[in-house]
Amino acid sequence: MQENIKTKIEKHLLEVQKPSRYIGGEVGSIMKDKSKVDVRFAFCFPDTYDIGMSHLGMKILYSLTNQRENYWCERCFAPSEDFEKIMRENDIPLYALESLDPVKNFDFIGFTLQYELCYTNILNMLDLAGIPILAKQRTEKLTQIVVAGGPCVCNPEPLADFFDIFIIGEGEEVNLELIDLYLEMKKQGANRREFLRRASQIEGIYVPEFYGPVYNPNGTILRIETEKGVPETVRKRIIDDMDSVYYPENFVVPFTEIVHDRASVEVLRGCIRGCRFCQAGFIYRPFREKSVEKIYKQTKNLCENTGYDEVSLISLSTSDHSDIDPMLNKLIDYTVDEKINLSLPSLRVDNFSESLVEKIKKVRKSGLTFAPEAGTQRLRDVINKNVTEEEIMNACRVAFEGGYTSVKLYFMMGLPTETDEDIVGIAELAQRIVDLFYSMENRPKGKSVQVSVSCATFVPKPFTPFQFEPQDTRAEIDRKQKLLLSSVKSKKIRVSYHDSNISMLEAVLAKGDRRLCKVIYRAWEMGCKFDSWSEYFDFEKWLEAFEECGVNPEFYANRRIDYDEILPWDILDYLVDKKFFIRENMTAHKEKTTPNCRERCSGCGVNKKVGRECFCKD
Amino acid sequence: MQRLRAVFEKCGRAKYISHLDLNRCMLRTFRRSKLPIWYTEGFNPHPYYSFPLALSLGFESSCEIIDFNITDDNMTHEEIQNRLNEVMPEGMRIVSISEQVRKITAITKAEYSFSLVSEDSTEIYDAVMELLAEPEILVEKRTKKGVKTIDISGDVEIVSCELTSGSVDMVIRLPAGTQTNYNPMLFIDALKKVSAIPFETAKIRRIGIFCGDGKRFH
Repeated sequence: MQENIKTKIEKHLLEVQKPSRYIGGEVGSIMKDKSKVDVRFAFCFPDTYDIGMSHLGMKILYSLTNQRENYWCERCFAPSEDFEKIMRENDIPLYALESLDPVKNFDFIGFTLQYELCYTNILNMLDLAGIPILAKQRTEKLTQIVVAGGPCVCNPEPLADFFDIFIIGEGEEVNLELIDLYLEMKKQGANRREFLRRASQIEGIYVPEFYGPVYNPNGTILRIETEKGVPETVRKRIIDDMDSVYYPENFVVPFTEIVHDRASVEVLRGCIRGCRFCQAGFIYRPFREKSVEKIYKQTKNLCENTGYDEVSLISLSTSDHSDIDPMLNKLIDYTVDEKINLSLPSLRVDNFSESLVEKIKKVRKSGLTFAPEAGTQRLRDVINKNVTEEEIMNACRVAFEGGYTSVKLYFMMGLPTETDEDIVGIAELAQRIVDLFYSMENRPKGKSVQVSVSCATFVPKPFTPFQFEPQDTRAEIDRKQKLLLSSVKSKKIRVSYHDSNISMLEAVLAKGDRRLCKVIYRAWEMGCKFDSWSEYFDFEKWLEAFEECGVNPEFYANRRIDYDEILPWDILDYLVDKKFFIRENMTAHKEKTTPNCRERCSGCGVNKKVGRECFCKD
Repeated sequence: MQRLRAVFEKCGRAKYISHLDLNRCMLRTFRRSKLPIWYTEGFNPHPYYSFPLALSLGFESSCEIIDFNITDDNMTHEEIQNRLNEVMPEGMRIVSISEQVRKITAITKAEYSFSLVSEDSTEIYDAVMELLAEPEILVEKRTKKGVKTIDISGDVEIVSCELTSGSVDMVIRLPAGTQTNYNPMLFIDALKKVSAIPFETAKIRRIGIFCGDGKRFH
């Protein structure tokens, strides 16, 4: 069988772009003797190799699972269009990159859900694999368990029909518990349903078929019915101690260039900031840091074992690490000695100091990116960005003094309470940065300044204080985009923005319920895939799918949700209280900010559920 | 400083590593080996190494060349070879290491082996013979200046051509090096034009690199 697939692939591999993506054999990929393996896990990323191979979570869980001798975790990605065509024409089923065996023969087929617009790719991959797309059509035997994890499972309802299990929260412990249970029950000769019953008792495991929403005539949820014996809400799993949690000492090093082609070291999890639009800021709570020593050791290990000459520090906000200065000193000493580039994404403007810019100047020569998110102080207070204009200007001044001549600014459009004044404010802020540059005596000589404004469309997300908010209609977003463009007067300012149709679909899929399953299915049938790629995205087809299924997308994207409404994701407990989100939503409408967690506990409820304070009281 | 030349194989799945990717791949291989490779001394120091001949994507080779420098004069060739082989990707292996004696401009020819696969291999064999008997073999070669038609009849050197029950197995030599580089696909494409029946090309492999005096470069 294996020889068969390999031969079939090799016959056509030279006809496709970047063939090394489809044949495995990379340095660091883990091979095992099949006869000594009890459980096989296909870790599937529902996008192409170039994107999927950049994902840190996959690297962690891949290595972690393979630590166990009798479990074999392999990688699998969505083929690009050219290779998919060849696969379909030559009966090549979706296969895993290590063994080149078809994933349909695996015990687990696990997807990571990183963004909503990859959902059709999941269906396409199941179809390519020859696995029934609907969970209820799968075999009664204990095999082919289709699971998903990742940030988007915080509202898994739009995918409920396609998955046997959703894994809620961090996977380092619960994944192995789930596989252990599977092996135990496989040995006992249990069937699929018996396994799912037992699995639903594990904390962090959500089995959608045991839950069913009942709807009101107006389309909202009346109640969620549960089968007897399963937990009413499923609480997410977290890792207690970042210093003792498993972290890989090696990565699979691809041959072809991928999006993030470097070693990456996670420095902290969670975020202290509480920006009200930001899902990651809430679903990854509580805030936990790795020690400097651990970060240094992991950096060194990874660079030595992979041979990468670039390492990136990964977190939601690296400069919020309590030991940022000693950490950077230690890492810079090491990386300069070894001629390794250190990249530091996710720095904040409010603690962007001269000493920090001195450090990053040593490691990075390209431009700097800041995220004010909104153009006026009023709106920045509404979203709780907790960044003042003075801090933004100061960060830019420090950057210009440090020799930088280009800055990139991230903004959002369509934020709650936004007016035209806020949109014009984006252009004005960018202009003041241009003016600042030319007012500086000590600006980089003989160079012109470039301010890039990248403006995304606000997408309300579950488990945020803005989950209740409507998204601006597409017409309104289009109007605001034009307003922004006409407000920019300088050629030194470059504006880019997102397709409002894509943002609307993202909102629908993020906040949707189970009635969306059939829409996603229909859209996929009509040929939708790679929806996050603008060259593939076909909004007309999606609208047709909504129409055919009798589902109104505006109900999900553009409707204000009452505080007491039952939400599709209420069955999941991400440790943050819904009452807190309601309180924060009200505070937002009062244009009041909430201090960060380190300054003062805002009472989100995580500490009570975890059973300890997030920060030691001095 | 030791100026070294390694000969390495690139076989199996490694044939899908493109030339551009091979560059990155060797950089990481050197780093993993922790050998004291010499870095350039410019503004942006990087390890110095070079490949005198590029290999087409999908070709195997038993004789790829990479030149690099090692700053430790006391390290033996054997140790360097072993340390690299410990961290080379699957399908790639250093066969030998020697000092850089000849200049890379000495390269004039490369030798390739391949199989032309068809059930009716006799027909293919006849087509090969027919093609070689032609006064000229015109092929279209893509160059930086565009497509031009060239006659390769004087440049294709047949080393061997054997008829088996399912294939014609050939070894040919073609110009290679800094001046002229002919890909064996030029010959195979020309054959496809004259052959009455279709065939598949398999197992293309570079097996030798030669200098003007007929001696092996490696």
